[in-house]
Amino acid sequence: MLWSVAALRRSGLLCGRGGGRGLWTGRPKSETDNVKPLVGVKILDLTRVLAGPFATMNLGDLGAEVIKVERPGVGDDTRTWGPPFVGTESTYFLSVNRNKKSIAVNIKDPKGVKIVKELATVCDVFVENYVPGKLTAMGLGYEDVDKVAPHIVYCSITGYGHTGPMSQRAGYDAVASAISGMMHITGPEDGDPVRPGVAMTDLATGLYAYGAVMAGLIQRCKTGKGLFIDCNLLSSQVACLTQVAANYLIDQREGKRWGTAHGSIVPYQAFKTKDGHLVVGAGNNQQFATLCKILNLPELIDDSKYKTNHLRVQNRKELIKILSARFEEEMTATWLCLFEGCGIPYGPINNMKGVFADPQVLHNGLIMEMNHPAVGKISVPEKGKIQLGCRSQEFQAWNSGMGLGAQTEDLCEEWGGRPGTTTAHTLSWRHQSPGENRCPGGCHLFLNVHRGITAVSTSMSGT
Amino acid sequence: MICINSHNKHSSGAQEAEVEASLNPRRLRPAWATQTCFKSQMKRGERGEGNELMLHPWRNTIETDNVKPLVGVKILDLTRVLAGPFATMNLGDLGAEVIKVERPGVGDDTRTWGPPFVGTESTYFLSVNRNKKSIAVNIKDPKGVKIVKELATVCDVFVENYVPGKLTAMGLGYEDVDKVAPHIVYCSITGYGHTGPMSQRAGYDAVASAISGMMHITGPEDGDPVRPGVAMTDLATGLYAYGAVMAGLIQRCKTGKGLFIDCNLLSSQVACLTQVAANYLIDQREGKRWGTAHGSIVPYQAFKTKDGHLVVGAGNNQQFATLCKILNLPELIDDSKYKTNHLRVQNRKELIKILSARFEEEMTATWLCLFEGCGIPYGPINNMKGVFADPQVLHNGLIMEMNHPAVGKISVPEKGKIQLGCRSQEFQAWNSGMGLGAQTEDLCEEWGGRPGTTTAHTLSWRHQSPGENRCPGGCHLFLNVHRGITAVSTSMSGT
Repeated sequence: MLWSVAALRRSGLLCGRGGGRGLWTGRPKSETDNVKPLVGVKILDLTRVLAGPFATMNLGDLGAEVIKVERPGVGDDTRTWGPPFVGTESTYFLSVNRNKKSIAVNIKDPKGVKIVKELATVCDVFVENYVPGKLTAMGLGYEDVDKVAPHIVYCSITGYGHTGPMSQRAGYDAVASAISGMMHITGPEDGDPVRPGVAMTDLATGLYAYGAVMAGLIQRCKTGKGLFIDCNLLSSQVACLTQVAANYLIDQREGKRWGTAHGSIVPYQAFKTKDGHLVVGAGNNQQFATLCKILNLPELIDDSKYKTNHLRVQNRKELIKILSARFEEEMTATWLCLFEGCGIPYGPINNMKGVFADPQVLHNGLIMEMNHPAVGKISVPEKGKIQLGCRSQEFQAWNSGMGLGAQTEDLCEEWGGRPGTTTAHTLSWRHQSPGENRCPGGCHLFLNVHRGITAVSTSMSGT
Repeated sequence: MICINSHNKHSSGAQEAEVEASLNPRRLRPAWATQTCFKSQMKRGERGEGNELMLHPWRNTIETDNVKPLVGVKILDLTRVLAGPFATMNLGDLGAEVIKVERPGVGDDTRTWGPPFVGTESTYFLSVNRNKKSIAVNIKDPKGVKIVKELATVCDVFVENYVPGKLTAMGLGYEDVDKVAPHIVYCSITGYGHTGPMSQRAGYDAVASAISGMMHITGPEDGDPVRPGVAMTDLATGLYAYGAVMAGLIQRCKTGKGLFIDCNLLSSQVACLTQVAANYLIDQREGKRWGTAHGSIVPYQAFKTKDGHLVVGAGNNQQFATLCKILNLPELIDDSKYKTNHLRVQNRKELIKILSARFEEEMTATWLCLFEGCGIPYGPINNMKGVFADPQVLHNGLIMEMNHPAVGKISVPEKGKIQLGCRSQEFQAWNSGMGLGAQTEDLCEEWGGRPGTTTAHTLSWRHQSPGENRCPGGCHLFLNVHRGITAVSTSMSGT
C-alpha cells in the first residue's frame, strides 16, 4: 500500500480537532462569510476553447479546484487565438481560464490515459468536450471512467449531443448559433443576420453545464453514485430561444430580425440621438405615459392608437417614427439627464470604455485584477463579489492563467511519477486541504477525500 | 440540453464488491457523525439499520433512474418577466417544486405581452413558466406578507426580482425572511445589484445589454448596433441564478444555514463579455461590431451563397486547408499571407473577399452537400421553421408538447430529455402554464386559510412527497420536511 496512516496524518487528514477519528471538524464556528460552496470539490477539466473552460472557471470561482489537462506542447487552442497577446498568452485564453492548475498529459498515449483515470479516482467531477466517441476510443469515455471512479460526476459538453445525425460534428459557437436560429433573429430589421458580439451560445452552454454539475453533486449527495451529464450547444441555444421559438411552435409565427427592437413590446429599443444612441423601454401603460411626459409628447398618452401595449405593437411604425424624430433632437447626455430617476428603463449603448468607466460596473467590482506569473498585473472581467451571509466576500484572485503544464511538476512531486513519459508510474494523490469545511452529515457530496483515498487503495491493490 | 445519467453497474467480481462496500455510507461515515444536530429533527420512531440515531433510511434501494436531483426542493418564486422565471423553470425541470406568487388580478406582466396569444395566455408567458404552481397573493397587504413568510418557513429557496428595498419595505427582505426561515436560500435578481448608483433602477434586458457593452459589439460591421434576437442578458442572468441557487443548497448542506445570493443583469452580462472585455482591460482594444465574423479567428463567419447564407469556420491551419480544398482554392493553402491564424487575421479583408466570391457561386444546398463529413464547422442560418425541422433538433427532443388546461395542446422549446440511469426518462410535462392563482384554492385547502383576504388565518403546510429521496447522510440539503415543520410550529406558537 502506498498510503500509510502516518502519511495521512502528516497531510492533516486524520487530525480532527481533539484527535480521535474525526476527519473533519464539524460545522465551522467561523462566519459563513469566508466559505465558498465548492471548496473541497476537485474538477478534472479536459475541456478546451470556451464553453467548457467558462463552466469550470465559474465553478472555480465558487471554490472548486480545477485541474486543466492540456496537450503537451500546444495546450488549449485558444492560447494562440489573437491578437491581442500579453507576452505569449492570448487575452482570449486569460479571460476564461483563471485560477486553474494546468497539467500537460498526452492522452493519446495509454500511459497518459492511465494517469487521467487515476486522477479521476480522486476527483469529484470530470468535464470534457471531445467529439462523442473520441474519448471512448482512448479509454476515457464515461463507462471507462465510471469503472474506476463510480462517484464521478461526468459532464460532457458537445456541439449537438451524443447521438443523432449531427453528433459527430465538432461544436463551434457561430455554427450552432446559425443552426439553432439565434443568428437568423439577430441583426438589423432590413439587413443581414449577425451573431451576438460575444459567443453567447457557448456561454449559455457553459452556464447550463455549471448548473448541471452542481445538480450532479446534489444528486450524488442523495444516491452516493456518480452520473453522466450531456450538455450541448444546439440544445442550450434552442432552449434559450424561449418566446421566439414558442411563437413559432404555438402560433406558427416565423422569427425575424428586429434590430434593437422587440417583437412583443413597443416601445423597447434604441433610438438615435444627436450624437449616439439611447435605449428606452416602456413595458406597460404607466411607463409609456412617463415616457411621453419626458419627451414632451403628452398627446400620445391618450391617443387611442397607443393606449395599450397590444395597440402600440399594432401601430408600431407610426409610433416609433414620432418618438425617433423627438430623440434625434437632443444629445445623449441631455436625455440621460432628463430620464434620471424617472423609473422607466433607459441607458446609453456603451462601448468597452464606457462599460468599464460606468460607476455601477466599478461599484459591482466587475474588473478582476490578477497577478499573472509571466506577464504581471492584468485585468479580466468577472461577475462580481460573491455575497454570502450579510457581508460581501472579497474574491481573492490568484494564479491568473497559468503556463501550459505549469502545475505538472508540482503534482508530480506529490505523485512520485512523471506524466506523459514512457515510464509507467503508480500515482497517488495526496489531498491537502486543511481547514476545509465538510458536510457535517457525512454527506456524499464531497467524496474527494474519503472516496478518493478508498478508491486509490482499491486500485492500487490490483497494480 | 442536460442529460443526467446515473450509471448502475451490475457486474460481479471481488473488486466490484469492494468498491460497492466502499460506497456504503456506513463505512465512510465517521463514528462521531451520528452525534450531529440532526438529532433534534428526527421524527419520533424513526430508526435506521443498526444505528439508532439514523434519521433516514440508508441509500434508497429504488433505482436512480427516475430520480431528479432537486426533487424535494420547494422554491417560492416571486419573480416576474424573464430572468427569474427562466431560472426557476430550469430548477423545476430538475424536479424542484416551484410556487409562483403573483399579484391578484394582473399576475406576471408577461401574461399580457403579445401577440401572439393562445386563448388568453401569451406565448411569452407560456415559454418560461411551465410546471409551476400559481398562487395569487397581495403582498402589499400585511396579511399577504404574513402568508408569504409562512410559506418561506417550509420552502428551501426564495427567489425574487424586485427593485432593491421594495421587498424590505413590505417586510419581505432578506433579513425579514431570514428571521423566520434561517435555512432559506434567498436569491435576489436585480438589474444592477443591491447597492451602487444604479441599484434603484428596474432591470430590463435591452437597457442592461446596452449599458454592459453587449449591444455595442453586436450588429453589422458598418452598421448600427442591434440586440441579440432573444434576451440573452436576461437568460444569462437566469442561468447564473439557476447555478447559484444550487450552490446555495450545497453550501447549506455544509453549514446548515441559509444565505443570500445577488444576481444582476449588469454583472452577468459583463462577466459574459469574456475576451472582448479582456481585450480592452488588458490591451486597451475597443470592442467593435463584426457582423457574423470574429475578432480573433479568420475565417469564422457567414458567407452569402446564391440563395442564402452558410456559416463556416476554420479554427486552425488544418481546418483552413480542408476549407480551401472544398472550395477548390488550393493555392490559398500555401499562400504565405494565410499560413497561420495570426496572418489570416492580419490579411482578413483580402482573404474574405476571395472566399466570399467563391461561396456566392453556389446554392446553400450545394455547399451543405460538399461540406458533409468534412470535419470542419459549417451550417446554414436557420429560421424557426428550419430549426424545428432540423433532424438533430428533433432527435434531441427540443420540442416539448404539453397539455395546457385552458387552451389544449401546445409546444414550447426545452433543453431535451433528462436521462437518468440507462433509460431515457420522458419528461412528463404537466401543468403547462397555469391560470393566474390556479393553485391558490388547492393550497388553501391544505392550509386551512385563504390568502389575500382580510381575515387573518393561521397557516400550516402539510408537505406531501411520498417516496422522495432524502440525502442518506441526514444532510441539511433538503430541510423542507424536517426544518419546515419545525419552523412552522415555532412560528405558530407566537400567533
